[in-house]
Amino acid sequence: MTLIASNLSIKYERNFHLNDVSFSMSKGEIYTIIGRTLAGKTTLLKTIAGLISPDSGGLAFDGHDFGSIPVWKREIAMVYQQFINYPHLTVYQNVAFPLKQRGIQKTEIHRRVKAALSQVGLGGFGDRKIQALSGGQQQRVALARSLVKEAKIVLLDEPLVNLDYKLREQLREEFRGIFDTKASEDSILIYSSTDPVEAMQLGGQILVMDEGRILQQASAKEIYENPISAKVSQITNDPAMNLFDGRIEDGCIVLSPEIKFNLPSHFNGLPQGDFTFGLRAAAISLDDNGFPFSVELSEISGSETFLHVRHEGLKIVGLLNLVQNFPVGGKVSIRFDTKHLYAFARDGRLKSSPYGGLQ
Amino acid sequence: MNFKHKYMFLLPGLLVLLAILIFPIGFTVRLSLSSWDSFYPGLDFIGLENYIRLFTDDSRFWEAFGRLSLLSLTTVFLQYIIGFSLALLVWKEIRFQRLFRVLFLIPMMTTPVIMTVVWRTFFNESLGPVNDFFNLFGMQPLWLSSEILSKFTVVLVEVWQWTPFMFLLLLAGLLSLPKEPYLAASIDGAGPVRTFVYVTFPLMAPISIGAIIIRLIEASKIMDTVYVLTSGGPGTSTETSSFYIFIKGLREFQFGYSAALSITYLVVMIISFTVIAKILVKMMVRGE
Repeated sequence: MTLIASNLSIKYERNFHLNDVSFSMSKGEIYTIIGRTLAGKTTLLKTIAGLISPDSGGLAFDGHDFGSIPVWKREIAMVYQQFINYPHLTVYQNVAFPLKQRGIQKTEIHRRVKAALSQVGLGGFGDRKIQALSGGQQQRVALARSLVKEAKIVLLDEPLVNLDYKLREQLREEFRGIFDTKASEDSILIYSSTDPVEAMQLGGQILVMDEGRILQQASAKEIYENPISAKVSQITNDPAMNLFDGRIEDGCIVLSPEIKFNLPSHFNGLPQGDFTFGLRAAAISLDDNGFPFSVELSEISGSETFLHVRHEGLKIVGLLNLVQNFPVGGKVSIRFDTKHLYAFARDGRLKSSPYGGLQ
Repeated sequence: MNFKHKYMFLLPGLLVLLAILIFPIGFTVRLSLSSWDSFYPGLDFIGLENYIRLFTDDSRFWEAFGRLSLLSLTTVFLQYIIGFSLALLVWKEIRFQRLFRVLFLIPMMTTPVIMTVVWRTFFNESLGPVNDFFNLFGMQPLWLSSEILSKFTVVLVEVWQWTPFMFLLLLAGLLSLPKEPYLAASIDGAGPVRTFVYVTFPLMAPISIGAIIIRLIEASKIMDTVYVLTSGGPGTSTETSSFYIFIKGLREFQFGYSAALSITYLVVMIISFTVIAKILVKMMVRGE
């Protein structure tokens, strides 16, 4: 069972919402589409669902043309970022709705609805009205409605984005459990997110989208280790990977007259010349023997500190363990962990990664 | 501010309420207990005599009431069906949507009495254009002087005149519906008909009930259409309660008796609308 998209394009006025999108997805796998806002993720999911028709290109499911099948006849379930339910129905009636449309017998509906509700932790909530539930519970109802259908394709469009932090963390863990069961059955699960951490946690296959295009499709591990371009590295890291222009010159990397360091061994095969170098925030640390930078901002996030520093035109963000305070404008010494350095060509293509990608 | 002064601000409103609502009702109740007519004007006291007469010796009022129920329920039912259909038609993006919306509202913008005169001319049995058409087939229906057809004509005029009001309320309701349940319904496998039955109709229930009750209240006062179109005739076949009360009060000048009719009519209407509203809520709001 495969879902194949061939050259899907959708254009509104002058902007492409989908630009020549092609992919192949198989059952039993979780696919995470990651991209920034307006990257085309929701448009792609709606196109798969049949809510939007592509201007060109096509979709085939199990060898059959998907485009000619109306939305309500596609075996698809979808959870949106808004908590979309039927406000006039109870929790039970909401979850039973898709089954009633299929004319399934009452006893079977009852069995499946009860199972789905207990799967999402809403076992005793069947008689409640939707408005009487919290945001997280409403989203669980939507999730139960998508599970109960036992659809061939389950689309989840940033389902956690409108929840508060704690609930998001909790549901994310629960989702993982539910998805593993679901994906191991007979479904293709497609999850869209703007959050790299979420995408990496879910694992599976990742499709990186930007400006309506799919930039890279690979496993989570591969995307993390070998992003094919500087853009992908930025989209799939939070905070975005630090990128800075420099040169390889006489066995050294030169970022500025004051900032030079030895070429790491994994760059040995690279020729001399101009490159864009990339380094994750976690590979930046404080070191008395490091390079001088001035503090622009320090942000505390949980038990970590994001340190924004600058040296002339070079701006980088470091992720430091523990909560640390730095006065704005103060001086710090920064060390680059060059073992984790990436090299991109000036047009953004990956030239070398610490995990052995390209050369 | 002194506590008593606060009540001074309420006084203008209370006085207006007293003048336009409480006094007329109170006076009508008192009037209904009198025998005031054109021969013996004056507020004498005859107890419940008028009411006893109404319940024991005036089948014409109850027949008129039955007719009123038939006419108002039929017209409002048709107005709801047609109004909802038209609202659904221009709810979705269609060509000339705005033009249609304005066209559908035109009947409501016209003066009811003048339009009824036009309709009367239209349905005139010997000179009207409707019968000119039917004459082509050798028929001459008695639109205004047949017992059944005259009711049909009253219903037709009322439906034509007031369907736009229903259309307007229901279209406003449709336009205010949330979009999300429709997304969910299409994904959940509901086609256009099922989406209407399971999503649009239940979501529109509160608005529908409001619109139906407003129109029923208006329709129960049906008077001008009957007055101009048939004058309650032929015989009493289109005579409604309000028209009968008008005859007793302002043609026969039985003020005391017509006041008793009015009070009875008011009480019956309040009870009827309460019951109707409860039935509508039960019928239309699922899952309550």
